[in-house]
Amino acid sequence: MDRALVVWVGAALALVFLMAMPLAWLTVMSVSSEAGTTLGHYRYVFTDPALAKSLWNTVVLAFWVGLVSIAIGAPLAWLTARTDVPGQGLIRGLVLASFVTPPFLGAFAWEMLAGPNAGLLNKVWRGVTGSDHPLVNIYTMPGLIFVVAIYTFPYVYIMIANTLALIASDLEDAASILGAGRLTVARTITLPMVLPAIVSGFILSVLQALALFGSPAILALPAGFHTITTQVWSFFHFPPKIEAAAAISMPLLGATAVLLWLQKRLLGRRGYAAVGGKGGTRRRIALGAWRVPALLACLAVMACAIFLPYGILAKAAFSRAWAQPVGWDNLTLANFTFTFFEYGATRAAIVNTLELGVITASVGAVLVAVLAYVTNRRLVVGHQIVAFLAFAPVVIPGIVLAVALFIAYTRPPFVLYGTLAILFIAYLTKEMPVGYGQSDATFRGIPPDLEDAGRILGAGRLRVLRDITAPLAKSGIIAAWCFIFIGVIRELSASIILFTPNTKVMSVVIFDLKEEGQFGAIAVLGLVMLALTFVTVAIVQRALGRDVLGARE
Amino acid sequence: MPTSPLRLAAFALAVVVALAVAVPVPAQDARVEAARKEGKVVWYTSLVLPSAERVAKLFETAYPGIKVEVHRTGSERILQRVMQELQANIRNADVIHTSDAGHFVLLKGKNLLMKHAPAGVDPFPAGFKDKDGYYYGLRATLNVIAYNTKAVVAAEAPKSWKELLDPKWKGKLVTAHPGYSGVIATHVLALSHLHGWDYFKQLAQNRVMIKQSAADPSVVVASGERVVAVNGGEYTAYKAKKKGNPIEIVYPREGVPLVVSPTAITAFAPHPNAAKLFTDFTFTRDVQQFLADSEGLYTGHPDVKYPADKPKLSDLKLLTVDPEELEKRNEEIKKKFVEAFGA
Amino acid sequence: MSAVRLKGLTLRYGGVDVAAVDNLSLEIGDGELLALLGPSGCGKTTTLRLVAGFLDPEAGEIWVGDRCLSAPGNVVPPERRRMAMIFQSYALWPHLTVAQNVGYGLRFKRDLARADREKRIAEMLRVVQLAGYEARYPGELSGGQQQRVAVARALVVEPEILLLDEPLSNLDANLREEMRFEIRRLHEAFGITTLYVTHDQAEAMVISDRIAVLQAGRVAQVGTPDALFERPRTRFVAEFIGKTNVVDGVAAAPDVVEHGGVRLTVAGARFTPGAGVALSVRPHQIDLVEPPGAPAPNVFAATVRRSSFLGDSLDYEVTITGSDLVLRVVGPATRRLAPGQVVGLRIDPSACVPLDGA
Ligand SMILES: Nc1ncnc2c1ncn2[C@@H]1O[C@H](COP(=O)(O)OP(=O)(O)OP(=O)(O)O)[C@@H](O)[C@H]1O
Ligand SMILES: [Mg+2]
Repeated sequence: MDRALVVWVGAALALVFLMAMPLAWLTVMSVSSEAGTTLGHYRYVFTDPALAKSLWNTVVLAFWVGLVSIAIGAPLAWLTARTDVPGQGLIRGLVLASFVTPPFLGAFAWEMLAGPNAGLLNKVWRGVTGSDHPLVNIYTMPGLIFVVAIYTFPYVYIMIANTLALIASDLEDAASILGAGRLTVARTITLPMVLPAIVSGFILSVLQALALFGSPAILALPAGFHTITTQVWSFFHFPPKIEAAAAISMPLLGATAVLLWLQKRLLGRRGYAAVGGKGGTRRRIALGAWRVPALLACLAVMACAIFLPYGILAKAAFSRAWAQPVGWDNLTLANFTFTFFEYGATRAAIVNTLELGVITASVGAVLVAVLAYVTNRRLVVGHQIVAFLAFAPVVIPGIVLAVALFIAYTRPPFVLYGTLAILFIAYLTKEMPVGYGQSDATFRGIPPDLEDAGRILGAGRLRVLRDITAPLAKSGIIAAWCFIFIGVIRELSASIILFTPNTKVMSVVIFDLKEEGQFGAIAVLGLVMLALTFVTVAIVQRALGRDVLGARE
Repeated sequence: MPTSPLRLAAFALAVVVALAVAVPVPAQDARVEAARKEGKVVWYTSLVLPSAERVAKLFETAYPGIKVEVHRTGSERILQRVMQELQANIRNADVIHTSDAGHFVLLKGKNLLMKHAPAGVDPFPAGFKDKDGYYYGLRATLNVIAYNTKAVVAAEAPKSWKELLDPKWKGKLVTAHPGYSGVIATHVLALSHLHGWDYFKQLAQNRVMIKQSAADPSVVVASGERVVAVNGGEYTAYKAKKKGNPIEIVYPREGVPLVVSPTAITAFAPHPNAAKLFTDFTFTRDVQQFLADSEGLYTGHPDVKYPADKPKLSDLKLLTVDPEELEKRNEEIKKKFVEAFGA
Repeated sequence: MSAVRLKGLTLRYGGVDVAAVDNLSLEIGDGELLALLGPSGCGKTTTLRLVAGFLDPEAGEIWVGDRCLSAPGNVVPPERRRMAMIFQSYALWPHLTVAQNVGYGLRFKRDLARADREKRIAEMLRVVQLAGYEARYPGELSGGQQQRVAVARALVVEPEILLLDEPLSNLDANLREEMRFEIRRLHEAFGITTLYVTHDQAEAMVISDRIAVLQAGRVAQVGTPDALFERPRTRFVAEFIGKTNVVDGVAAAPDVVEHGGVRLTVAGARFTPGAGVALSVRPHQIDLVEPPGAPAPNVFAATVRRSSFLGDSLDYEVTITGSDLVLRVVGPATRRLAPGQVVGLRIDPSACVPLDGA
């Protein structure tokens, strides 16, 4: 079985370079000191009051983000999946927009919207009410939770909307006939059925919040508090404490693994199978007089996630001073000129980003396609292990991955730090699970019989791949490409650790500019990033012929 | 931007002409030729981005064919970058310019700097010159208080560092970070000499907003997000004021920390000739005058004239810090600051 | 010559101890249609896929005429086996039109001119009554039409061997019946050696020249439908093909089997007295007569326990008087017996078929 050998050697090498070696170094580093092995770094991380505080802040942030995401995502999902609320397409489109908006751009925009004094909303509030207190102060823990949650609730939305779409109204009607009132039906039938989806959406949101770097760096640091991710980042400041960064990464890694395991168990036991009722119509509940208020509520959420942030970004991009009112004398293209023609780092960063995006997406799409093909067609022994490994990086938060890669690849024999290669490795590893999930679904949808039918009629293995498998898998592979691409161009938490001046990417430049307070240039770059993202999303929608939020399986 | 492209171009032309006249031609040619072969110079600088880009443009206009690659970030980040890169054996930076003089003590100690005296630095004051000849102060600025004139009337404005401790400023202050900015690291050390570490603990009671760059507090104050900046580079506040922002600068009476920002060529510079040419260029009177004029900076050049609305350094009580001490206490400064402010 | 010979084929799926196909040997004559019949999981599909070359056998050989297609260390890939296959799922390619689907196999016939290719596709579509559907996509066809496209796609390449894996199981009862005859008709028209997998014995009987009954990866019995029905060799075959009564007893004489006082004479048997014997007696081969006055060989008195009216016949369950033996009997619709009624049964000695492995 030389075929199996090739695949296995390839997979093993990839595994070693992408995960095993970096994680091993991370572990070694977390217990090493000049005097030999030590648990001192862990003791330091868990007992130092400031660090313990950052661990706790992370817990608080993640937990509340999970809850708020449910509070936003669940009603929204129910409204669009089961009621006759108007503008469903619009709402879904906006949820999608929130899903793909880089959270750090949102955080940045919300600084301009809800800074306690200069923030636009607070100014309006003061103007209207005459109060000298701000309406909201975004530089607080609740502010941070809010800004993170408005970009993570789509995880809850997707889980619940897709589940609700599978529950036939019959099930609910059956209970109604037995005399249960509307609320009782909701409580005893609908809720238990979507509970796994809710919990699983909660866990996904929590995981997002745990791993996020940009938003806390933008909103928590000015307020004088740290989370684990910002702490990891600050350990890299001179003089660096890489060992401490490694040690504080471990709880993050552990928490992620445990949460994912929990989610898998939950879905495994009472997952979609339980709700996958065949046929059955899904009746929409008539909201009656509540239709318009419900729509307004949805739009209010979307105003927070999309309209206001995008609006203020656009305003900042075209204004001399973002905090001043719109007007001819405040209108300028100088931010664009500066960003594209005067600031040397921008163009290089855009080129780097696109290069990394295209290369990672291309290599990644091919890789996940091969992996998914091999595992779906069981071409090698132990294909289950290959599938597991393709999903494994999901447990490594971006910043932890970056720390591990930094440690592994700043030393011989593989000095990759300072090259685009290390970013490529980070992105490929990070995006592999998403891409693999997409490809796996694609190949699962192509019965092997279709290939066998070609073989027996005289086509060789490669010919069948070309004539039959490739055309059928094409749209799925394009979608995987786009998912990876979107993931790469918005990546910040790993890039912020791994970049060097010559390998800056857009997100890092934005963050750099942020530290210097260059609002106009950030807004311009942010708009470029959003434009890239939405073009890519449009391509996916076309390729798949449905919206990205739809049930994958 | 106050400087119109026309003025910039005219100035660039003047620089070129001046250089052509001032420097003996043959020697100059050989140096420029060597630099041109290298093609570019990589400049790690903490000079605020638009200023740095403009200096780069001036050089590129004066010496066509030699590009300046500007990598701008905070002083402390620059040191982090340089050290991380060296660990990975990356030799990228030609010229390093930060506002933390301690960095240069450190780098010199590690033999990472090249000895190079820029042409014409002899008459610079002693505070601008390393005694061993490795680094020279390219520019200087002051650390000042700035306030929003729409929110505070001049009479109410704080006149001294101590007045910032008044609880009436609670929730209205903004600071930059010594973990990012060398200007602020210098400031923190100078003030700790003046008022002790307790000063910062008390200041933190006023719930100060924490930004990173020394350029940022004036942006925040100008926008009105906070009312008073408890520190920050004078030159950015001055420029903001010049642009018409509602901002006023206070030179506190207890003393004003002077931050001399040195520049040096690395020992491993991949483009040593271009680096020397560039460094010499930045010390010419024209560029030094440019820094003073359009960037609002102070310099060590004796012939530079300052705008009339800027105080003379000799009129101020200046607080200076010893680079050696700054180097030694680098970690302590950041740690104490984080302890006081939380992040 | 496209007679197919399978010799001692064995295959075990990865990680499974039990062989899916276990030392299976079988011959299919040139131009013959042989059905592989057996219950779910007995290895029919596996056998077919071994023949097709989608699976490599662990042991055994596959020959077509004098061509060895598969022997340890020497396996011809599917594309060079000159076979065609019709899948249970039809496996039509959704991204190709009907004409493209049907014509796909012709792309690999180098010597065929383009015009000839078109002609053959058109001709084939006419045969399966799909002329005019060339430009449609499979998704735009009914189940039966899809099935016919699958048939056309397989036959148009004029394969030496045709393999079918339960091609009718997705169709509704009426269409299935129709397609059975259709396949038989095509087989007779083209005369292709055919291996036909099914778990439906009625289908196998209608369609095939011979049937191989598979049990747990082995061939239990091969023969014409008649032979299998009339002379099943094992209890498994007897019960799988049609309804039957299996009588377990002990040989009382070389041609007599006794079960709890009931003695049955078996035509042409040579039992060792005292040995355990199983007999198959088909319900319709038991005659209902008047209750016997005096004991006679192979004639018994019995009581009707249950009767079911099936329209053209009646199905009885009767207990032989003085024993625990319960038999199923088919009687004419013209004469109905009520439960509790006493009748006589006559079992012709030639209707008693001894089975292997009592
Ligand atoms: N890919 C596989 N991996 C492991 N075991 C398998 C695999 N495919 C089939 N088997 C097992 O091999 C045995 C024979 O399977 P096969 O598909 O040949 O049965 P079959 O006779 O075609 O059944 P059916 O009538 O249900 O189609 C079964 O026990 C089945 O469980
Ligand atoms: Mg089968």
